[in-house]
Amino acid sequence: MENKNFQVVGQITPRKDGVARVTGQEKYTVDMTLPRMLYGRTVCSPYAHARIKSIDTSAAEAMGAVVLTFKDIPPIRYNERIITVEWALHKDHYILADKVRRMGEPVVAVAAETEALAEKAARAVKVEYEPLPVLIDPREAMKPGAAPLYDTVMYGDKEIKIENNIACTRDVIEGDVDKAFAESDVFVEGTFKTHKIYHAQMEPKSVLCRPEPDGGITVWATTQSIHNTRIVLGQIFDIPLSKINVKRMAVGGTFGSSIQMNSVVPIGVALALKARRPVRLTLTREEDMHDHGRFGTDAHIKIGAKKDGTLTGVEMEMIADLGAHIIQGYSFLGVSIGWVVSLYRLPNVRYKGVGVYTNKAPGCAMQGYGNPQATLAIESLLDELAEKLGIDPLQLRLKNYVGLGMTFWGQGPMVRSIVWSDGVPELLGKGQEIIGWDKRESPDTKSGRFRRGIGLGRGFHTTSAGAPQPGDVIDFSGALVKVNQDGSVDVVTAMVDHGGGTWEAIAKLVAETLCVPLDKVNVVPSDTFSTVYDVCTHATRGTYAGGGAAVKVAEQVKKEIFETAAHYLNVQPDALKLRMDHEQGQAVIYVPSIPDRKMTLKQLASRTWSESWKTIAAVDSYRPTNCPPAYVTIFLEIEVDTWTGAVRTLQTALGVDCGTVVNPDGAVGQLEGGLSRGLGMALYEDNEWNDQGQLLSKGYWVDAKTPGIMESPALKDLNTHFADTYEPTGPLGAKGIGEAALNPVPAAYANAIYNAIGIRFYELPITPEKILGALMEQENMVKEGVH
Amino acid sequence: MKPQMITLHINGRTHYVALNPNLTLLVALRDLGYTDVKSGCEKGDCGACAVFLNGVAVNSCLVLAAQADEGEILTAAGLGTSEHPHPLQTAFSDAGAIQCGYCTPGMIISAKALLDHKPHPTDAEIRDAISGNLCRCTGYAQIIQAVQSAAEKMDAGGEG
Ligand code: FES
Ligand code: FES
Repeated sequence: MENKNFQVVGQITPRKDGVARVTGQEKYTVDMTLPRMLYGRTVCSPYAHARIKSIDTSAAEAMGAVVLTFKDIPPIRYNERIITVEWALHKDHYILADKVRRMGEPVVAVAAETEALAEKAARAVKVEYEPLPVLIDPREAMKPGAAPLYDTVMYGDKEIKIENNIACTRDVIEGDVDKAFAESDVFVEGTFKTHKIYHAQMEPKSVLCRPEPDGGITVWATTQSIHNTRIVLGQIFDIPLSKINVKRMAVGGTFGSSIQMNSVVPIGVALALKARRPVRLTLTREEDMHDHGRFGTDAHIKIGAKKDGTLTGVEMEMIADLGAHIIQGYSFLGVSIGWVVSLYRLPNVRYKGVGVYTNKAPGCAMQGYGNPQATLAIESLLDELAEKLGIDPLQLRLKNYVGLGMTFWGQGPMVRSIVWSDGVPELLGKGQEIIGWDKRESPDTKSGRFRRGIGLGRGFHTTSAGAPQPGDVIDFSGALVKVNQDGSVDVVTAMVDHGGGTWEAIAKLVAETLCVPLDKVNVVPSDTFSTVYDVCTHATRGTYAGGGAAVKVAEQVKKEIFETAAHYLNVQPDALKLRMDHEQGQAVIYVPSIPDRKMTLKQLASRTWSESWKTIAAVDSYRPTNCPPAYVTIFLEIEVDTWTGAVRTLQTALGVDCGTVVNPDGAVGQLEGGLSRGLGMALYEDNEWNDQGQLLSKGYWVDAKTPGIMESPALKDLNTHFADTYEPTGPLGAKGIGEAALNPVPAAYANAIYNAIGIRFYELPITPEKILGALMEQENMVKEGVH
Repeated sequence: MKPQMITLHINGRTHYVALNPNLTLLVALRDLGYTDVKSGCEKGDCGACAVFLNGVAVNSCLVLAAQADEGEILTAAGLGTSEHPHPLQTAFSDAGAIQCGYCTPGMIISAKALLDHKPHPTDAEIRDAISGNLCRCTGYAQIIQAVQSAAEKMDAGGEG
């Protein structure tokens, strides 16, 4: 039921982990050390595609290093990301390479007493390679006769043959596109390309493993899912899960890069098991850049519409550049069409997605998981359609968007749910006002060196992958909530917070539910031994699903509080209520009609303790039956310098419908961070490879063009706003923000640039070079027209 | 390579260490347990490893430990404690300028280096001072806000 009279939720409060982070006391995996710890290093391939002819480790072993090669590891192909169910999971990866398929692939691993010695030992290993043709472009890789990366891979428990480097395909057909197109009055279409950019999370991926005397292992790892990391380790090393403990750590940002068990984790475990000593292994920044990236996409999309602007159907063909391993390519193909049909009502769909292996960094989830790519295409085409039809782009969106009561695909065709809360009209209205949409002029009215443009991108992201029935994506969380003897509360969850404030949100939701002051509710350190399963912090699900689990369990604790207190107060449990008493710093259990029948939670908990009765606690799992869209609209005013091609952001209106806002300052931070990463994707970041599969940045971060402070718009020009909505399926009305904040940003830039100079770009990033080139072409065309 | 003895004065404590002359100050500090000095790239790209060396903010991954022999080093942990945080630390925590927090210690060092010389910095001066520090989470706006609000507080309280 809607109730927005919150005491804790929606308040701006200092972050609980703030002090630890600003004073540098927070420990990330890379900061952990153990007595007698060895340092690991990997020997990385200098070729992007090669057969390994021989390996000589004798010199490294002579230095006292522990050395691992392919023959020392379990001969098991795995997929590091097991959010997808087993039957839909491809597995092509060994702990160390059987054959090299990307630059920097780990071929041998060593561990030694010092970092310097480990480095020396790694350099002393001699590997003989037979280089193979390098495939960088998926279209080349698909051609018959192209050098194959794989002969076979595992799909579920079957071994399948790989032809033409095509790892997977997916076809989706809904309704009748031919009929819909035959009845359409107008079409828009285009081929949109996006690149395999780098996550650029600040913390390098790391792992620390300690072999235990009972044959088990303890693992500290950079990951978004401690339980999935444990399960994959159990599968590879054949150790019972009851002997594998993965610790939940502070994580230095991920943006998807640690959705899986990272490649360093099983290498670290194998080294530690062989050495019988703790081992820490951390990727260098250069290794990290070769380890993962966003999926590159090349998509042709055609949309039909009626004269009045009603969309009729969509036809889409997409090639996804998977890189050297398939981590989540099959789901990627499914979600990509899902994002399209969930943005706007497109009842007739014909889609073909193809995932292709190339000799580049493996694609894995990166904020939005195909959504910014899809949104760029659809939002660009909608602007084109509006222009063709002479309709205001904003009105065209309002007419066609997927909103209240409609069906929506949360994660591809198998995860569908209904929209229960919808702040889109409010967001569009507010943004329209802030940016001055109505004074927007067409590009042909603009001239001179500096040309301004206003653009709109609207989008959304699924909050969790919940649905009424199970699908091909696992989605549930759990929590343990217990009341301590002094009336304070421990929340034990496996959910990872990769920086956005998920733990803060969970603490607030529990404090609100149990009426306990926030400083007495703590999300405590945890690990796989002490928690029930949580799938992963991904899909914008932290607050909605992790918070949902915590609220579900807190409600059970509340019931037990009432039942237990009823016994002491000699009243009916149903007559009891809870309130937050700030003076006493306690939750108070009371009967509204009998003022003296009351006790604090501390009194209750200390009595159940001293009378040797019980701990008031509950533990449970929670499967969201919905995956509500978190809607975002981005309005931008930019200025293009037609002499340099540079784009400057002048004004923004960033709006989100995240239901109840749990952490207002954190929510603003999500929007601003999303803008920054979206701006990087739109204008700068490329992460180009040369034809030998080497990164042009050579592992230098600055050359990967991650936006710095100079690229970020001025504070006074960032306007953020929230829709006033309440999500009935969410914890206390909340949805998520995370990925939604980035998804429409590249589209908003493309549309604003078009509005400034009248040129539409179909390929990201829209660099100054591309803008200048296009302006020159435009000028030539005008000149030719004159002569 | 022969280890070399050096002396480092870190956050008011003196350490005598034997280390290889090719080790960076970043590695030396982290090996001594000063893990508040973050390692982001070890190539001078990200600013996560910033510390004060004899009053000057440096990327510790670009300084050899031996060059810092006898030097006074101040790290983010030396600026303030949980009980008595530096105004910049309070401002970062209050202004939403931290998300994952991995860039934060380095950011705070760069910001302090600025405020030491310019107690009332403009937006452009703040950007210039922080331009060597990457943050992937926040989009920087709240970081600028934190530096401004710390400057105001320090001005009013005469601290810093
Ligand atoms: S670690 Fe020194 S600048 Fe990145
Ligand atoms: S807060 Fe995560 S990198 Fe800055």
